[in-house]
Amino acid sequence: MLFRKLFQVLVVGGAVLGATSGCSTPAGSRQTARAKGEGGGDGTASDAGLAWTGQDSDGGVAPDAGGGVLGW
Amino acid sequence: MSEESRRRAGEAWAFRTRVEREAARRFARLAVAIEEFDADSSVPALLRRAAEDERRHAALCADLSAVYGHPVAASAEDAAIAPGSLGPRAAVLYEVVASCCITETESVATLTTLLAEQVEPRVERVLREIAKDEVLHGRIGWAHLAREASISDVSFLSPWIPAMLAGTAGEGLFTAADADLESRELLRHGVLPHSLKRSIFVGTLEGVVFPGLEKFGISPRPARQWARGARPRSPDLARLTSEE
Repeated sequence: MLFRKLFQVLVVGGAVLGATSGCSTPAGSRQTARAKGEGGGDGTASDAGLAWTGQDSDGGVAPDAGGGVLGW
Repeated sequence: MSEESRRRAGEAWAFRTRVEREAARRFARLAVAIEEFDADSSVPALLRRAAEDERRHAALCADLSAVYGHPVAASAEDAAIAPGSLGPRAAVLYEVVASCCITETESVATLTTLLAEQVEPRVERVLREIAKDEVLHGRIGWAHLAREASISDVSFLSPWIPAMLAGTAGEGLFTAADADLESRELLRHGVLPHSLKRSIFVGTLEGVVFPGLEKFGISPRPARQWARGARPRSPDLARLTSEE
């Protein structure tokens, strides 16, 4: 019951929130080259990550395999 | 209150102080990043508000930490967590999903569980103040994911969800804990006993995070495989992996 309610409040509520502020701006041409329906990986992390890889990525990301965020 | 429970409660609130401070810095950074590619989004403004909330939460947690005899130093990191192979926009999405869709969603479940218990009045005031904000913080993540999914395929995140979960769960969640970490006495002081914490974590994945990711086209299958590989196995993990 708790989780069903949280799904409604957070996921569904969040989706509504995201939809109420205009359309999302499409990614730049480099990123949309592999946008919906135009390609995909084989399900591995490295290939799937390339789907949104920018060759001009200038940092702001960790050099490793990715991490998570500690919480309560 | 036993001395051991007092120490555990102090450690927990000190840890939360650091978590809240780091969230404040991360949210402020992500607000700037999102504005650069999605000018119409309400998410950056909401993230700035969330950053303010987190700073306030950190002060509340630090106060409680001191009450339990465990003052915390004033420091916070803001480490980027997205894989280096992702482009800038994908890296932002990775980080928003990890920090809001997973971690903030888990935090709301934890707070809701704690508030259903008999809690010390001073602790309850803090929990209630934080809980009302954390709901919005979780929504922010789902809002951003929904916007990105509306214009592109975000399924590339699926193989990365295990890394996010591993980082959120930390090293000890799926291992047995000392008896003092299982004490029900901790609940009165705003801390979940270890096995209950694990149960809430898994239940939130099952009931909220995984269905949420699937809603936007991100398969939870790799995350379930990650859970299967976690050792030692617990009844909670068996429940998770049997969903496939």
